[in-house]
Amino acid sequence: MSSASRLPIGWLVQRVAMMLVTLLAVITLTFALMHAVPGGPFVSEKMLAPEIEAALNAKFGLDQPIWRQYLNYLGGVLTLDLGPSFKYPGVSVNSMIADGLAVTAQTGLLAIICVVAFGVPAGIVAALNRGRWPDTAAMFIASLGIAVPSYVIATVALYIFALRLGWTPAFGLDDWRGYILPVFALSGFWMSFVARLTRSSLLETMGQDYIMTARAKGLPAHTVMLRHGLRNSLIPVVTVLGPVVANLLTGSFVIEQIFALPGIGRHFVQSITNRDYTAIMGITIFYAAFLMLMILIVDLLYLWLDPRISYGDRK
Amino acid sequence: MTRPPIAPEMWLPLDPQTGQLGDPIVSTATRGFWAGVRGRLFRHRPAMAGLVFIVLLIFAAIFGPMMSPYSYFEQNLELSNLPPTYRPYTVTDNTLVHVNTSNLNLYEVSEKGGLTALLRPDDRDMINRQSTWVIDDREVVLDYSQRPAVLTIDGKVAQAGGLAMNNRNPFGTDQLGRDVLVRQMYGARISLLVAAAAVLANFVIGVIYGGVAGLIGGRVDAVMMRFVEIVATIPLTLYVILMMVVLQSGLLSVVLAIGTVYWVDMARVVRGQILTLKSQDYVAAARTMGASTSRILFQHLLPNAFGPILVTLTMLIPSAIFIESFMSFIGLGVTPPQASWGTLTSEAVETLRAYPHQLFFPAVAISLTMLAFNFLGDGLRDALDPRLSS
Repeated sequence: MSSASRLPIGWLVQRVAMMLVTLLAVITLTFALMHAVPGGPFVSEKMLAPEIEAALNAKFGLDQPIWRQYLNYLGGVLTLDLGPSFKYPGVSVNSMIADGLAVTAQTGLLAIICVVAFGVPAGIVAALNRGRWPDTAAMFIASLGIAVPSYVIATVALYIFALRLGWTPAFGLDDWRGYILPVFALSGFWMSFVARLTRSSLLETMGQDYIMTARAKGLPAHTVMLRHGLRNSLIPVVTVLGPVVANLLTGSFVIEQIFALPGIGRHFVQSITNRDYTAIMGITIFYAAFLMLMILIVDLLYLWLDPRISYGDRK
Repeated sequence: MTRPPIAPEMWLPLDPQTGQLGDPIVSTATRGFWAGVRGRLFRHRPAMAGLVFIVLLIFAAIFGPMMSPYSYFEQNLELSNLPPTYRPYTVTDNTLVHVNTSNLNLYEVSEKGGLTALLRPDDRDMINRQSTWVIDDREVVLDYSQRPAVLTIDGKVAQAGGLAMNNRNPFGTDQLGRDVLVRQMYGARISLLVAAAAVLANFVIGVIYGGVAGLIGGRVDAVMMRFVEIVATIPLTLYVILMMVVLQSGLLSVVLAIGTVYWVDMARVVRGQILTLKSQDYVAAARTMGASTSRILFQHLLPNAFGPILVTLTMLIPSAIFIESFMSFIGLGVTPPQASWGTLTSEAVETLRAYPHQLFFPAVAISLTMLAFNFLGDGLRDALDPRLSS
């Protein structure tokens, strides 16, 4: 069977349809939630004159019936227009996202690279030295990495490396060293998680019959583990990549706040404190769409990596 | 055909040592499933350490704030930013002072070693950057024209003494002079409250939702699980944040927001368990005898799915505690003056340059709690399924 025929078209169509349904649900939910907030978007510290408030409402279409507003918004989202920001005149939500995307994507991508580049080897080393000190040490650090919250890692690292030792800048990304702490704090949890997963998965694979066959042929233990065991044991690692992306997104809220990085996460948290409802809605919808796309890509990657898996499309 | 008679004593077991007929009582009580789990759990050292820590934490959270002489909101601006430990300077034999080199204040040290009073300088020379106190007829001068500031007593440079504990506030005070220890314990209360809310939501909504979906099956299951799938696509943190925007910040909102969405994983786990369990013979037997659907679910299926439910629960508790502190850290959780480990950490970040020790306690508290719950969860998983343990 050629690899092209393994692409399950029916499954893909179903998945994309499900994604669209989910996206519609997210749009509806965020729209409903943001309109359920007590008081309108312009109720703030400063009392506005009724005429001004009416003018503002008319400008943003808030004087129309709610179903009309919903349809307008839905139409906007379909044409990839997330509307204007309520708090910053002349700024659109689209431009806010475009503005922060580069920073968030850079740190996020580096974090994923770190997760794979450090987590997997740590897990392999632990499995190769099962029960000896490298295993104990790696698993101890991994337990810490899983338990200690990212914002604690970030603040402690900020204090030690930026304020005390002065090795890295405390904020901003002007220098390549500025990336070190945010990426480390962002990826700490998943590095640890992947290290543990790689270790247990590798140890489990080593109990399989084909490993015994390879050993029986006289191959040295390390060769068997790295050449025959590793490939199969990395499959579970690929499955966590979807959750990793989701977690890096939410992690970026606090990391970008702590290190003052101008990414989407910081824009999101700021629009929450500013009660900038269109920005909150727009960024949430963007996150949802992005995540679903990532999960789809991970699922496809999984299919490509493991020939035993089918998504029920073959007759 | 008749069987040869077997004498009753021939059925008796042999003594393992002598091989002769001995004491016939060799049977012990059968170890049930849960007795085995308990035994394995008790032998799992990290899990037991975690359990002990959690029990201590619960006691500290409940009784600690009651026993403390301070309340979590009581401010004392004169005694702000006090350290937990300090190095006193001796002015006279019975007067010791502590110098805060960040805000250049002098504090009187009580006989018991607590920092009890702020000493107002008798003269404050801002041009030459020095403050002067007259304490017990001695002239104490703090010269801060250079860093670090130098304290002189009657013209002689004073040397700091050995490390002493601040007995008044063992963890020091924060930037508003509130006792950090009582605020820590109050933070433990909030974390455990959130954990309890998550547990309740998981049991009440998650278990029943998943159980009903799994047991009824068919179209109902498909619809219910589609809904869960849609909810689970988006990270729960995002939902909690959106809920908080609607509900406004506050403890009740955090509990509500976490309770509303934190049952999704549990519903999936329970459904999966029920699906495998419901084809078992004992369910068919119960059904034949006319047991109602709810009786089958609650009496037969859920008790058998209890292990995975418990493991999922111990995984979800730390994540709920984490979400609360995360939300509080970015300013969406509990409102001041209430103290959560998240707000305590973010307050410590504000004073990170001058008083880094303030970061220590909340960071350690949240990390240890997460570690304890994680260890307990790992131990429980290994104990419930010994094949999984490595």
